[in-house]
Order: sequence, then structure tokens, then C-alpha cells
Amino acid sequence: MEFIYQYAWLIPVLPLAGAMLIGMGLVSYGKTVNKFRQGSSVFIVSLIGAAMVFSFALLWSQIQGHPPYNRIIEWAAAGDFHLTMGYTIDHLTSLMLVIVTTVAFLVMIYTDGYMAHDPGYVRFYAYLSLFSSSMLGLVISPNLVQVYIFWELVGMCSYLLIGFWYDRKAAADACQKAFVTNRVGDFGLLLGILALYWATGSFEFNEIGDRLQELVQSGSLSVGLASLFAILVFLGPVAKSAQFPLHVWLPDAMEGPTPISALIHAATMVAAGVFLIARMFPLFEGLPDAMNIIAWTGAFTAFLGASIAITQNDIKKGLAYSTMSQLGYMVMAMGAGAYGAGLFHLMTHAYFKAMLFLGSGSVIHGMESVVGHDPVFAQDMRLMGGLRKYMPATAITFLIGTLAISGIPPFAGFWSKDEILGSTFEVNPILWAIGWLTAGITAFYMFRMYFMTFEGEFRGKNDSIKNQLKNEQLQRLGLAFGPGAMNSKELTTDVPELHDHEAHEGHHSDTPHESPATMTLPLILLAIPSILIGLVGTPFANYFEAFIHPPGEEAIAGFPPLEIPAEFEWTEFLVMGGSSVGIALIGITLASLMYLSFKIDPGAIAKTSQPLYNLSLNKWYIDDIYNAVFVKGSRRLARQVLEVDVRIVDGIVNLAGLVTLITGEGLKYLENGRAQFYALIVFGAVLGLVLISGIT
Amino acid sequence: MDTANFPWLTTIILLPVVASLLVPLIPDKDGKTVRWYALIVGLIDFAIISYAFYTQYDLSDPGMQLVESYAWVPSLDLNWSVGADGLSMPLILLTGFISTLAILASWPVTLKPKLFYFLMLAMYGGQIAVFAVQDMLLFFLVWELELVPVYFLLSIWGGKKRLYAATKFILYTAGGSLFILIAALAMAFYGDTVTFDMRSLMAKDFPLNFQLLVYAGFLIAYAVKLPIFPLHTWLPDAHGEATAPVHMLLAGILLKMGGYALVRMNAEMLPGAHAYFAPILVILGVVNIIYAALTSFAQRNLKRKIAYSSISHMGFVLIGIASFTDLGLSGAVLQMVSHGLIGASLFFLVGATYDRTHTLILDEMGGVGKQMPKIFAMFTTCSLASLALPGMSGFVAELMVFVGFATSDAYSVTFKVLVVFLAAVGVILTPIYLLSMLREIFFGPENKELTSHEVLVDAEPREVFIIACLLIPIIGIGFYPKLLTQVYDSKTIQLTARLRDSVPTLAEQAQVREPLAAQIFRAPAIAK
Repeated sequence: MEFIYQYAWLIPVLPLAGAMLIGMGLVSYGKTVNKFRQGSSVFIVSLIGAAMVFSFALLWSQIQGHPPYNRIIEWAAAGDFHLTMGYTIDHLTSLMLVIVTTVAFLVMIYTDGYMAHDPGYVRFYAYLSLFSSSMLGLVISPNLVQVYIFWELVGMCSYLLIGFWYDRKAAADACQKAFVTNRVGDFGLLLGILALYWATGSFEFNEIGDRLQELVQSGSLSVGLASLFAILVFLGPVAKSAQFPLHVWLPDAMEGPTPISALIHAATMVAAGVFLIARMFPLFEGLPDAMNIIAWTGAFTAFLGASIAITQNDIKKGLAYSTMSQLGYMVMAMGAGAYGAGLFHLMTHAYFKAMLFLGSGSVIHGMESVVGHDPVFAQDMRLMGGLRKYMPATAITFLIGTLAISGIPPFAGFWSKDEILGSTFEVNPILWAIGWLTAGITAFYMFRMYFMTFEGEFRGKNDSIKNQLKNEQLQRLGLAFGPGAMNSKELTTDVPELHDHEAHEGHHSDTPHESPATMTLPLILLAIPSILIGLVGTPFANYFEAFIHPPGEEAIAGFPPLEIPAEFEWTEFLVMGGSSVGIALIGITLASLMYLSFKIDPGAIAKTSQPLYNLSLNKWYIDDIYNAVFVKGSRRLARQVLEVDVRIVDGIVNLAGLVTLITGEGLKYLENGRAQFYALIVFGAVLGLVLISGIT
Repeated sequence: MDTANFPWLTTIILLPVVASLLVPLIPDKDGKTVRWYALIVGLIDFAIISYAFYTQYDLSDPGMQLVESYAWVPSLDLNWSVGADGLSMPLILLTGFISTLAILASWPVTLKPKLFYFLMLAMYGGQIAVFAVQDMLLFFLVWELELVPVYFLLSIWGGKKRLYAATKFILYTAGGSLFILIAALAMAFYGDTVTFDMRSLMAKDFPLNFQLLVYAGFLIAYAVKLPIFPLHTWLPDAHGEATAPVHMLLAGILLKMGGYALVRMNAEMLPGAHAYFAPILVILGVVNIIYAALTSFAQRNLKRKIAYSSISHMGFVLIGIASFTDLGLSGAVLQMVSHGLIGASLFFLVGATYDRTHTLILDEMGGVGKQMPKIFAMFTTCSLASLALPGMSGFVAELMVFVGFATSDAYSVTFKVLVVFLAAVGVILTPIYLLSMLREIFFGPENKELTSHEVLVDAEPREVFIIACLLIPIIGIGFYPKLLTQVYDSKTIQLTARLRDSVPTLAEQAQVREPLAAQIFRAPAIAK
């Protein structure tokens, strides 16, 4: 088995090679490569397939008890400083490799159907492959610098893919917003890495943790400072995993094509933050202040995301806020010290959320044949309804995903969420209460989404709703622009034109249709882990935690856990599990009363609690505040600095030039002793300065 | 042929200069022969540079190599003395590379092609000479001479305000170089012997006050060239008016002269004064990074935007030079080479975009990505390189400067925290202005006003080739930085050791607890 470890570097390199080849082909022989659409996609899918087989082999070997494997080369050196790069394969890595490759593989198959008619089909595959490569590189990183490198690279891929449809203004704004917001997090991560290197002299995960503990214990580094370093590092995951206050980019990122939303913005990249916390667990573990901040950030984000999701009408936006909320759970688990539970939820969530997103893509695909290629119509749930009749496979898999995320046993989400809630309860009951409440809201908004989309009557031909949506979009414009636009003209986008365009093109049929097999097959395949994967981590036979446990800690039970651990208590499990299932059922009942049988009018509730409704609908006004403070503020500051540069720094230079000119010329006439003449010169100089700085 | 004693550097410098003198003799009616001639001369010279360094240069030797010295004007003690060490060798290679590509980039020049290529070739030799000469007086001469072609290239082929820009450029740099002359003369005549030779000058033992004065003089001259705030305002004007090939030379090579000379003269020859000026360099570096990033963000003119981004990137060079660590200095050299490649590629693409849109104002562009996907792709790649994306050379350079400075034992912790924090703010600002720029040029719906009167054609193979040539080293260094760092590593280690020797030790400094301000502005010191 040793040889698969020696060649494990192929896992990220294979997709990279595919992306490079196709990318170079696109730049040099664009037309020819674009003709070989299926050829290029099969090539790239088979490369990621090979990486997937490799990853399974590694996971199997790790389960068999192979010791962790490390391989490094010297990457950069200067004097005594040596920086190494390489890869490390241990339990966590092999698990992440399998998650990433399986989801990527299925998403790529799905893409063939979803992007079939897009002119950028081949380019999309190249980007997908590049992303997979960066993400795989991230999970095998043996040290912090390499993590930072791939961290930024996945961010870049996300930028390219969100802006894939670059002629859409919303996509253009969203991709920039995503990159810049992530850079704010990277800024913290970079400072954290530098600070930790300064303190410990190492970039290796375990060494940093150990040495920092020693330094804190010996008193040469204060606990406060160590916690500050840890929080700086945590800023990276805050941005990447869309935690408050840097979550604003994720919902906007839904402007990218749906396969991307499933792969990057639900299953893999956004989970990288949780992965990094897991990697740095030896560091965080010993710093209770940092752990508290992590836990509370996660809990607040979980609640924030869920509270916004209940009023979203765009199916992808709703899922995006739900992703944010679920990531909050994972981060909260990490902060509460429930290492295994957090990663367990990461795994189950990756599968069921990827499936939900792909399902929403299938729905959008079906809707587009009725309402045309306009995201405003194709993604709005108010125009959907009754789709179960037309797209049964999508509906069933979506329902499975909905049940999984709502935490209904025996679906995957129940086991992981229950474990998180159970472990948080032991740490802090208030955190548990937030998580428990959020679980209820989750069940409510997910079933609201399911009922609005798949049950009831189909509303896609209702023109009055369409007109309403059109008006809402016009109102929204002017609020939604990303950071950096210096141009006020940009605000007047040609919206009417967009709609004319739509009116001529779409309307192929009156009813939506089921998606092609390349799209439904991945859905069905993802449904299997969504149902079953939770069973590897049941509290009475927790194979998962026996395999995944914090470095340095021995698993409580041996592997595999042959018998129920002695301390396992059925009553406790039933109480905890029962309460979370109970609140989920309340949420589901409420949703069915409001959106299935229409016994309760949602509009009336919205009216009676208008401020709360508006708060949720407007995303707690966080985007508006950021826009007013940071985006406009930075633009104003930049303009002022430029003014200073032109008028003062350059102005002085030009003044100096002018003065020499005037004095040189004027010296011959100057000695006439008339005071008003001197005044005239001074006046002229000032005038000249004003003129010149005005021109330049 | 005795390759070891062959005058390689002299040949490398003189070949383009002599070839440029032959340009008027070339029969050329349509202006198309002379460009091939210039390109071939450029390629031959670059080949000689590569061959000479490949066969004759020993990477492990930190000293001067390929040394030649001939008496020129003995009465003035002026020697034609050239050589290359780890500091100049990568920059000479860079010069040959960028200049050759710049000639290829000037293919569409139709106005007075003979004069244009004459100047380009003259500049080719002049620039290499700046990096190779080892005699102060000679350095001053070639420094001045290389300004002349730039002046003409700016004032004849530039944009609308070209005369203003060219005059400003020449006044600024010529004014700055006066200080070089004064400082060089002062150094030469100090002590018992009169010498202009750099190595002899290095051996001289100058008193500290003298060093400080001379250092300040050099600093002004090189601050203009690099440029350092507040002496940078010639650069946006010059860059705003220059044509693409001149642009590539300005950003790719001319700015590096400032950084090179700062290391060569200020740091290497005046290490005593460097210890006192280093904190000032660091502060100026931080100001450069943030100030220029903000101005770049507010700029509406594409060329000026990129020009300011160059200023911002040069801030890292300053911090690296003043870090007193192997890693920081290595990062500074790497940043110079890396920015030479990235800056040249960005300016070339700006030129290529301008050739199609005929406007540099961002408000008049928009949505051109649809019609020019290749230019869009290349522009995106180069912008990402410029914002220090990992996998490209800029990231490695900035990371090395960051880690080098953060681990430097010469500064107080407060000072380091402040500097690293502010420099890292630049890391947030850079993508803001670069990605906004991309978005305003390429993204969004097509700008109907623009497409109604301009025909937007995608990149031709020549343009793709030039960018590919620049991207190969950018990505190569980004993937495996040792490719470049090992070339000059021995030199930077030796230089850092020399610099650290002259830093006062902690024991010499008072160990009393100081107020915050004093801690921040404390001169560097090392515990030995």
C-alpha cells in the first residue's frame, strides 16, 4: 500500500493538469477546443474520477490503521530560513479528500446537463477542475503557509466562477465582493500566521500548538496575546465559512452557476474554514477565550442565517442562508470542543446540501423552459409550485435533503446535528438553546421551500406575480452594488432591456420538464449518503468519532467500536434527540399549515410583526450598513487621498517649477522697488498654482 | 576562444548601442525592416546574457564576477569597470528579457520607426550598464545617459500631455541625480586616496556623520527613481503618457534602478548610516503601500491607476531592504524582479486594450470582455499576479518580506506590529482597486457608446506570445521560488551579515523602559 502514499501528490495534480491543458487550449485554439465539448468534459471528469479512486484507496488504508504519512520538499530558503511544502495524509485528510472528490465528481457529471447550452461550457469545466485541484491541495497541506496558499487559490477560483457569467452586472459585483471580503479574512489569517511564527518559530500545525502551550505555561507569552493570535487565525475561517460579520459574500455568490453553488458554496470551499479550525485544534484547544469566541460566533451565525432564510423567495438565496446557518453549527461545535461532531456535520452537510443545491439547479433548469433565462423569474419560488408532478426525481431527492437538514431520523443530518447539540449542552446550555431553536427554524424554512416549490399549483404562468417581481427588482437596484464601484453611472443599469430580451427568447413550453439523466443521476447518487451516512456516527456505535478525533487524543473506544461505550446513556440520548426532533416537527407542522394547506396566512403574520419581517427580509440591514460605512467610506477616503496627491504633493512641485520660471524671468524687472508689483507676482503665482492643479 | 576572459559584460552593453548607431543605415521604406533588425539584435544580446551567466557565473560566490576594468580617463581616475554579483545579475537578465519583449511589443509603432528603434536599442544597452558598472562616476554618467532616450521616447510618442510629462520626468530625475554626483564626489575625495571604484569605496572607513549626509543625498536621488512618497508625482504623469513598450521599460526596469542603487550604494556602501535610516525606509515603505493603493483606487485613468499600483508595490522593496534579515532582503530583490515582470505585463495589456478602445477612462469602457475574451483572460491573470495571488511570484516576494520583517530582531515589537499590520492593510486594498478595474473594463453588459464606434478585436498571437513569455517566469517563480532565490542567495546572505555588523547592539542602547513613541522610533538594535 505504500506506493499510493508516494503518489498521493497526484490527487491535486491530476485535476490541475486537466485544467491547465484545457485552459491553454482555450487561449490558443479557442474555437477548436470549444468544438470538442464532450471530449474536454469527459477528459476532466475522468481525471477527477481517478483522483476519487485514489482518495478512496487512501481512506481505506487509513481505516486499516496505516500511520500518518508525510512528505515534504524545501520550497523557499534564505539564510537560516527554510520553508517546506509537501503533503500529509492522515485520518482527517483522507476523509476530506473523499468528501471533496466525490462531490466534485458528481457535480461535474451534473454540469454536463446543466451547462449543456452555455457557450462557456468548456471554460466552466476548466475552472471546476482548477478549483478541485486547489481544494485538494488545501486539505493535504502539512503547514500553515501551504494552507494559506491554497486558501487564496480556492478564493480565486470562487471569484472566477461567481463571475462566470461576466456580462451580468450582479455577477460582476458579487465576485468582487466575495474576493474582497475573503481578503479581509485572509488579512487576519496572514497576521495570525506571522504572529504565530514570530512566537513559535514554526508553521507546522502540531508544533505551533505544543510550543504555544509551553510558552503560555512558562509565562513568556500572556494568555491574552495567545488568544489574540488564535482569533486572528480564526478570522480566516470567519470569511471563508461565511460567519458573521464576514458572511455577506455568500448569498451574493449565488450569482454563479448552480453547480458552483453546490460544490464551492455549500459542500467544499466554505467548509474549509471548519477544516482549518480542526487542523489548528491543538492551538485553539488550550485557549478558552478563543474557544468561546468561536462558539458564540458560530451560534450567532447559525441563528442569523436561519432567521434570514425564512423570508427569502429566491430558492438559491434561501439555500445560501441555510448553508451559512449550518456552517454556524459546525463552527459552534468546534468552539464547544466537539471536534468529531463538527467534522461529522461537515461531512453529512456536504452531501445533503450539495444535493439540495443540485436539486434547486434542476428546478431552475426546468423553470427556465417556461419563464426564460432570467434569474429573477427562474429562481423565485413564488412562480414555482406543483413541480413534483413534472419533476418527480428532483422532488423526491429534494425531500430527502429537506428531511436530512431538518434533523429527522434516520436521515444523515439528524445524527450529526444531534451530536453537536448534545455536546454543546454539556458546555453551555445557552448555546444549546440557540442551536435547538435554530433547528426548529431550519425545519420550518426548509419545508416552506419544499412546499412552495413542489406542492400546490404551478404558478409559472401567472403574469401578475411576474410584474410584482419585476417591480421588486427595480426597487432593489441601487442597493445591490459591490465594493469598489467608483462610477455613479453604474447605478443606472439597463434593466428594462433585460426583460425585453427575456420576452423574445424564453417560453418554449407551458410546463416545466424533468432534467436529463446526467442531472438526475448525481441527485440520486447523492441521496444515498444523505440517507445513510449518518449511521456511521450514531451515538451507540460511533465509527466516525473513533476514526476522527483531535490529534494527540486517543480515541475513547478502540477502532472499530465493537460494543456500546459504557458511559452511553439511552435516556440522555432520547431526551436530547427527542427535543430536537420535537422542535423540528413543530417547524414542519407550521410550514405545512402556512404553505401547504394555507390554514395560516403568512402575509398576515408578516403584517402583524412588520419590523421583524423587514429585519429578516433585509438581511438585518447588514449589507446596507457595510455599503454605507465600508464601501462608500473607502471610496471617499481614496478620493480625498487622490485630491491631496494632485493638489498638494504634486501642487507643490508645480508651484516650485512656476516660481523658478517667474523669478528667473522677473529678476531683471524686479529691482524697481514697487510694492504693488511684488503683490502682483504673488497673486500671479497663486493663480497659476490654482490653474495648474485644476488642469492636472 | 578564451571564454573565461572574454569581455562578456562589455559586449552585452555595447552590442545594442553599436547596433543602434547602424539603424540609420538600414534601407527601410515602409518601416518594417528596422523592427526585425531591432528584435534580432535584442534576441542576440539576450542570448549572450543568458550564455555568459550560464557558463561563467558561479552561484555560490557572493562576490563580483565577470569583472572587467579598463582605464578610460586616467587623469580623472575614470575606469570602465563592470561586473555582476547576485544583486545585479538577476536584474541584468530581467533587463535583457523585458527590453527584448518591449521591442516585440512596439510592432505597431508607425511614427518615425527608425528613431524609435534607435532609442530603444540605445536604452537597452544603457539600462544594462546601470546595473553592471562598478565605478561611481561611470554610474552617474550612464544613469544620466539612459534618461535621454526615455525623454525622447516620452516626448515624441507619448499621449496628449507628453511634453509636460517628459519635462517633468527629466527635471525630477536629473534634479535627483545631482545628489548622486555630489555624494559620489564627496565619497571619492574623502580620505587619503581619490577613487571612484565602488569596491575601494566600500573599504573606506567613513565617519558616521559623513555617512548620514551622503546617505541622505543618495536616498533623495533613488527616492525619485523608485519612487518613494512624496517624490513620486512624475511617475503617474510619465506613465500616463507613455506608449506601451516604453511603459514596459519604465515599470519593468527603470523603477528597479532605484531599488538596485538603494541596496548597492546606500545599504552596501554606507551600512553605518543604513542602521539609522532603516526605520525611515520602513515608514516610507508603509506610506507607499497604503497611500498609493488609495490613490490608485480613486484614479479613473487606467494607465495612472496601474502607475500608482507600481508605487504601492515598491513599498515592499523598501521594507525588505530595511528588515536586517536574509529573508527580507531576499524578498526585496525578488519583489523587484517579480514586479518587473508583472508590471511590464500589465502595462503591455493596458496598451493592448487602449489600441482597441482608444480610451483610458474607465467610465468610457465596460463590458468589453464579451468581444475580447483572450485579453480579458490575460488581464485577469496578470491582475491576480499583481494582487499577490499565491502560485505567482508577487505572493512569494510579499510573503518573504512579511515573514522577514516580522521575525527581524532589529526592531521593537510595537514597531513591527504596527508596520506589519499597516502593510497587511495594503493586502486588502490591492484587490479592491485591481478587481474594480477589471470589473469596470470587462464585466457587465456591453457599453453601447463604446462598441458603436470602436471595433474590438481579440488579442493577436503576437500579444498572446508576449504575455505567455512574461507569465512563464511569473508562475514558475510562484510555484518554486528557489528557482530565482538561489541565484542571488549567497549575495543577500553576505550583505545581510554586513548590515547586521553595523547595527548597534542592544547592550549599547539604554535598557530603560521607554515611552511608546520612543519605542516605535527607536533605532534598530540586535542582541548579539
